[in-house]
Amino acid sequence: MSDATGLKIAARDVDVFYGDHHAIKDVSVAIADRTVTAFIGPSGCGKSTFLRCLNRMNDTIDVCRVSGTIELDGEDIYDRRVDPVQLRARVGMVFQKPNPFPKSIFDNVAYGPRIHGLTRSRGELDEVVENALRRAALWDEVKDRLSAPGTGLSGGQQQRLCIARAVATAPEVLLMDEPCSALDPIATAQIEELIDELRGNFSVVIVTHSMQQAARVSQRTAFFHLGDLVEFGETGQIFTNPQDPRTESYITGRIG
Amino acid sequence: MNSASLLLIVFAIALAGWFLGRRRALAMAGGDARRLHSLSGHHGQAVFLFAAVPALLVMFVWLFVQPIVTEARIGDAIRANGLFRQISPSLVMSDVRRVAHGLDLMVDRGQIDEKGLAALGADGSELRARLGRVGVAVGGNVGGDVLAAARTLRRDNHRGAVGMAVAVVAVALAGLVWSLSRISVEFRARNVSENFVLTLFFGASLVAVLTTIGIVGSLLFETVHFFRIYPARDFFFSFTWSPQFRGGSDLGIWPLLWGTLYVSLVALILAVPVGLMSAIYLSEYASKPLRAVVKPLLEILAGIPTVVYGLFALMTVGPFLRDMIAEPMGLGSSSSSVMTGGLVMGIMLIPFVSSLSDDIIHAVPQGLRDGSFGLGATQSETVRQVILPAALPGIVGAILLAASRAIGETMIVVMGVGAAARMGLNPFEAMTTITVKIVSQLTGDTEFASPETLVAFALAMALFVFTLGLNVVALVVVRKYREQYE
Repeated sequence: MSDATGLKIAARDVDVFYGDHHAIKDVSVAIADRTVTAFIGPSGCGKSTFLRCLNRMNDTIDVCRVSGTIELDGEDIYDRRVDPVQLRARVGMVFQKPNPFPKSIFDNVAYGPRIHGLTRSRGELDEVVENALRRAALWDEVKDRLSAPGTGLSGGQQQRLCIARAVATAPEVLLMDEPCSALDPIATAQIEELIDELRGNFSVVIVTHSMQQAARVSQRTAFFHLGDLVEFGETGQIFTNPQDPRTESYITGRIG
Repeated sequence: MNSASLLLIVFAIALAGWFLGRRRALAMAGGDARRLHSLSGHHGQAVFLFAAVPALLVMFVWLFVQPIVTEARIGDAIRANGLFRQISPSLVMSDVRRVAHGLDLMVDRGQIDEKGLAALGADGSELRARLGRVGVAVGGNVGGDVLAAARTLRRDNHRGAVGMAVAVVAVALAGLVWSLSRISVEFRARNVSENFVLTLFFGASLVAVLTTIGIVGSLLFETVHFFRIYPARDFFFSFTWSPQFRGGSDLGIWPLLWGTLYVSLVALILAVPVGLMSAIYLSEYASKPLRAVVKPLLEILAGIPTVVYGLFALMTVGPFLRDMIAEPMGLGSSSSSVMTGGLVMGIMLIPFVSSLSDDIIHAVPQGLRDGSFGLGATQSETVRQVILPAALPGIVGAILLAASRAIGETMIVVMGVGAAARMGLNPFEAMTTITVKIVSQLTGDTEFASPETLVAFALAMALFVFTLGLNVVALVVVRKYREQYE
């Protein structure tokens, strides 16, 4: 792993098409390691689409075409030799809607370690699960009912379970697609706190509708508008001194 | 006047009510439909319903009750007459009914008028021949008493028909006038039509429930009848099935139940894995265009009549299995066998299982797939560990539906499995199932008094209880997983 300021993901000249629709237009972004990068912008601006390019989730959509290069640690992830399944183990993802599997809480978290053979013994697996749940600030709430179904948790707990599930797979990058949009303010605050802690080990990329959230959790912010990357820089600078008039209009609430 | 023309008259009255109601509602609002609580169409509809529905109900009840009343009166007369002591009243009654019907036909065809009818004597064979010419066969010469009774029956029927027509038209007109008088600007005709629709839907759902109760009731009745003349212990615990028409039959259910379960098991062992895997392929792997072609094809396969599958078993699969497997291995020389029928039944069930499971798997939220892919799972890992557990309740339901169909299947068994009630393990032997025996015990000489025919009802009841039990198990399984997963 590179140091705290090192480059983790470098995207250059990325274009994405959904059929005839040009969803992402010539976007280049450099995502640093151990940093939270926020993608903001109005609905339909392509920020989620771009996020899904970073772990090739768009491969599952038939009509989607991606061009340009996206490098993870200097290796092109769209290269023929890269296995998207392996890539996704390195670049984990948390979705907008909490999507726990129809399994127990333990099995949800153990899912990634099991399919990737990360642990050698049951004891080791127990440890991984406990650590992931602690990282996701969920351990104290669920430690007595690990065999209860994950779907029985509240919305905020479910989302933290999904984060624990992603963390347990030991990814290098964590992509979060509006992880708080289905949650109430208290659950949102818990998740934001969590994101800040996760920064110690991962590079986190978060898509959010809430500019306050971007300002609170991220160090770098990218503003997307109609498929263009309008502005990308330090979060403080984007919010206090935007260079592009479109960014200024968006963060002051004039467009969006 | 017959019932059809009476129906038309009621309908005409109701239709007139529709237009009158609309006009009256509009007139009351001074031509401004916005002042009405309900649309003028609703008012028309309300009048239509109040004119038609009560009248039709009266007609329905009348048609149902009248024969009971008139025949009871004539039956009393017959019983009172000493001449008929030797013969059962119900036989005489059916003769009377037939003669009355024949007389009606003769009048209809203009062979005789009412006056001639009144003069008609009971000159035996002559009347019998005349009835024969209009297509009514009477068992013996028509006696004077039967003729008299038939005349009474005709008269009563005629009076009844007139009475019914008068009553029905009166009710229709009364409904029309009453509902027209109810129309006002505030009248909530919209709610009337709402309630009517509610009643209609309720009635429709009641039909299914009442039919089920009726079926179970009649089965139960005949089953009790059967067990009164045949010991229940022999039925449930005997391992022999050999009906004798001279009496002294062995009617043990076990050979049939065994055959049913064996054939169903073979069918399900083929249909469930193949159907499920094809469903997974269709919903998870197949491209959209392929799915669009294959799925309707599968559903066509599911719509092929089972007798066609039976032919396939009889002509192709049976001989093939006999020549290629059973005879070389010395397992039997019959082309009808459990294997033949089971395999063909399995083929029949494949589209059934796969189409249902495909729908269920398709309904699993995309979020679960994304979540699994996002953790670096492959497609088959996702299917096995996420999609199938999520779809399990529905899949269990699909499998149990398929099992019910396998248990109830008859044609394929007749043509592919055979008719020999036997308990054996060799799947290349002919056996038979409950359904086939129900059919064979009831077809042919049916007199519902011997245990040999009544056993069909006991078998049907057993089948019913068995499939009901299967459904209960399905329900419990589904509920258990629901609680766990949703």
